[in-house]
Amino acid sequence: MLPNLDRKLLRDLNRMKGQVVAVALVMACGLAMLVMARSLIYSLESTRQEYYEAHRFAEVFAHLKRAPNALATQLAEVPGVATAQAGIAVQVTLDLGGLDEPASGQVRSLPDFGLPELNRLFLRTGSWLAPGSRGEVLVSEAFAEANQLHPGDQLALLLNGRRKEFRIAGIVLSPEIIFEARPGASLPDNRTYGTFWMPYKEIATAFDLYGAFNYLTCTLAPRAQLRSVIAELDRLLEPYGGRGAYGRADHPSHIRVSDEIRILQTLSIGFPLVFLSVAAFMTNAVLSRLLTLQREQIAILKAFGFANRQIVLHYLKFAFVMVVGGAAIGTVGGVALGHQLVKMYHLFFRFPNLHFRFDRSAMVLALGVGVGAALLGVFSAVRRAAKLPPAEAMRPEPPANFRPALIERTGIGHLFSHSFRIAVRNLERRPMQALFTVAGLALATGILIVPNCFRDSVSELLGFQWDVVQRQDMNLGLVEPASLQVRDLLQQLPGVIAVEPFRGAAARIRFGHRSRQIGIQGMPADTQHSRVVDAKYREIVLPPEGLVISAKLAEVLAAKIGDELTVEFLEGHRPLRVVPLMGVSEDLTGIAAHMELRALNRLLGDGDVMNGASLTIDMAHRREFLHALKQIPRVSWVGIKESLRENFRKTTAASINLIQSIYLMFAIVVAFGVVYNNARISLAERARELATLRVIGFSEREVGAVLITELTILALIALPLGLLLGTGFAKGIVSAVNTETVRLPVIFTLHNYAFATLVVAVASTISALLVLRRLKELNLVSALKAPE
Amino acid sequence: MDTLTPETQAVAVRPKVFHVRSLTKVYGMGEAEVHALAGVDLDFYAGELAVLLGPSGSGKTTLLNNLGGLDVPTAGELRYRDFDLTCAPEAELTRYRRDSVGFIFQFYNLIPSLTARENVALITEIARDPMPPEEALDMVNLGARLDHFPAQLSGGEQQRVAIARAIAKRPEVLLCDEPTGALDVRTGIVVLEAIERVNRELGTLTIVITHNAVMAGMADRVIHFSDGRVHHQLRNATRAPASSLNW
Repeated sequence: MLPNLDRKLLRDLNRMKGQVVAVALVMACGLAMLVMARSLIYSLESTRQEYYEAHRFAEVFAHLKRAPNALATQLAEVPGVATAQAGIAVQVTLDLGGLDEPASGQVRSLPDFGLPELNRLFLRTGSWLAPGSRGEVLVSEAFAEANQLHPGDQLALLLNGRRKEFRIAGIVLSPEIIFEARPGASLPDNRTYGTFWMPYKEIATAFDLYGAFNYLTCTLAPRAQLRSVIAELDRLLEPYGGRGAYGRADHPSHIRVSDEIRILQTLSIGFPLVFLSVAAFMTNAVLSRLLTLQREQIAILKAFGFANRQIVLHYLKFAFVMVVGGAAIGTVGGVALGHQLVKMYHLFFRFPNLHFRFDRSAMVLALGVGVGAALLGVFSAVRRAAKLPPAEAMRPEPPANFRPALIERTGIGHLFSHSFRIAVRNLERRPMQALFTVAGLALATGILIVPNCFRDSVSELLGFQWDVVQRQDMNLGLVEPASLQVRDLLQQLPGVIAVEPFRGAAARIRFGHRSRQIGIQGMPADTQHSRVVDAKYREIVLPPEGLVISAKLAEVLAAKIGDELTVEFLEGHRPLRVVPLMGVSEDLTGIAAHMELRALNRLLGDGDVMNGASLTIDMAHRREFLHALKQIPRVSWVGIKESLRENFRKTTAASINLIQSIYLMFAIVVAFGVVYNNARISLAERARELATLRVIGFSEREVGAVLITELTILALIALPLGLLLGTGFAKGIVSAVNTETVRLPVIFTLHNYAFATLVVAVASTISALLVLRRLKELNLVSALKAPE
Repeated sequence: MDTLTPETQAVAVRPKVFHVRSLTKVYGMGEAEVHALAGVDLDFYAGELAVLLGPSGSGKTTLLNNLGGLDVPTAGELRYRDFDLTCAPEAELTRYRRDSVGFIFQFYNLIPSLTARENVALITEIARDPMPPEEALDMVNLGARLDHFPAQLSGGEQQRVAIARAIAKRPEVLLCDEPTGALDVRTGIVVLEAIERVNRELGTLTIVITHNAVMAGMADRVIHFSDGRVHHQLRNATRAPASSLNW
């Protein structure tokens, strides 16, 4: 048997269901965001951790030129190293029948017999390599999917310039390439870049590395110092062409997953906080309204002996219904959104099984935060009601105090219409209610700015990268440095308009105690392809001596123009040079160091060589050109600008769109809920006033105008604030993407602001119109009767 | 007081404002059916001050609401001059209320966010031929409190603002529902004086509902209601000034 007081609760809830739903939905938005973000963090972190542990992902990585296998034993004994695994990692060119352009990839060795100690693979389909097998290969899943390769298919690789057919044994995943992209590339292109595994013997023989290794991975012993292990490994590997060891924090695939988790962490705190404060206020407004209506009922309950505690509890239950409703919708919504986003992660991240994992603690937290927000919202209102002596509560509330609004006191009051005066005075009398309506609308506007800003910034970045800086159509890399004559050879390929040679050289640049490992790019002084530009996008002509480095690298090194940088080359004879810093360039992805090609070659003492070229080609001859290029074994990789763009549209742009639609939905719910709630409360509190206006001869439209004026004023204040707020949100979130990998310029467009304004304006208008329909139901006769 | 037949010669010369015949109003349905008006026949004339007396639920307020265009009758005839109130569309009822009717309520119903002057000006802005708000407030002796908000006025003062608001449009009809119901005797009399003055000086047909039989003295005609019908009517030979009333 339901206690009668609870029956009253149910009926009150039913009567105010519109507002109850509005509050619950706004709360649900915040909680959905919380549940989604925390669950995704949990899914990614725990899945990655389990993957790393189960597949023994290494903690230190080092590439080198070549070292005898005997050295590996010595390396395993370095203090702090738990397990060391030596192997081979080489760049190869692929020959894919279905693909116009040359594709490239990396081949890694697997022990001829038995499992690898570290970085074990996960077999998705097919089978492992048969012990002692030849002519078989394992292929990374992202590449296999992009090229529709299956176990049993044939694949042609150019090993050290020699073409060889392989049978695909299995499709695999590796903890080393959860995120797979060509080294140095910020966007993945899984069609033209893949990773392959074959037995040590086969790959070592092909590259004349038998009995040697060129790639070392280690795990650390408990309490080992990463920095000292790296220093020791570098010292030991130096004679063998070591290119500098690094830890997980610098591992490209690891970084990308960590970056994503960091972004989710920002989302899981900031947004729910704002949503829930708005929801808390809405709860307060709804409850205050209810309590005002029920003053007499409260007095009667108290007169009949109900304790304050029971009354407080009764109204808290009202709030908790909204919280529980909000938490339930929020949890379901968060889980649903989380599932969508996990699907999106499959575009970028490859785990053996990345499933959405619901973070139960997130739901408990959501419920807790929701209850907290509601308590905060209700407490003062309920306490005020409970404290009222019964006799006093039975009298109607005294008439509200008003005074001329601030804006009228400026002396321009006579310019205002009566409905404007009624509106501004009402707003001034209830500043908190006005404030939170403004806050809610501003929030709705603000959250719309973020995804569009993100999209505009990414498109600015790509425009910079692909239109301002890279004027070439494609880049290609050579297997080995070669004489500049290769340039003439390339020039003669069909469709080639221009060729520019470049040389990349691995080096460690040091200034003071700071250093970075980087590929120094040598190119013609007047390069027209990979242009070097300053912050105003003006071209920098490379000086005949010295380095031009990107602003981010200069910042990292704390170096300025004129400083002498120490450059320690990590290839060739590994010369150590002091080079002046001659200029600082703008670059939005990665960190870069440029030199005039001959100056770089002089420093390296190699004569006039190149190890890559950039080309512009006549698109009409694209196919012929690519076909001809595929016949040149010296070419190890090709990056085609158009393919990267296309790929970007399919992945990153698609995920931005998904996030955008989520934000759009949230913004609409908040705008709708806030306006609806505000209008319903105004309508309820002022039913008598509005009915009086109708009785004394105002039409429905004129009475509606009084309510609308108020909302319009609030919206007019909220929209610019929201645009400001959104600008702040977006600046915070977008400029948080300021790493050495990528720096997003923060771009705001008129279109972005206009879209946000329009969405909120339309949602608010529809919501207000819904409430205005209730004006028809206004009971005119009741205005003549005693106040309730 | 003399007992009257419905059409007295003295009044008959004045133009008829309201024409009411067999008016019924039924609320609810079936068992819950309530006959608020059970066949009312009445006429009201220009410049007349009529007082409706009767116990709660006798149908006075329902009649007033129907006269004011706030409610439509279930059956019968109800005309304001040539305007049929029984089947007028909402927009015409609104115009009727705006142009022709002034209402005064027991609980004043002022707009709390507007000052006395603004409450009156609210109406004068939309009316056809209004008087200046200040003049209306002068008529109820509130010329000195123009810029006070309702919360800063006493109950009697608020009611006089309500009267000023009602008469500022120079209505043909002034409908008052228990105008002194929430006031003490002294302030009640001040309010009645204001109503009396409006009726006399502007010649407005004034219909006042009250529980208070004493107020019958100030009327031209007293109409007694019971059970949704006119029980009987009385005509005063002379109207007592409101200031002489006491209760």
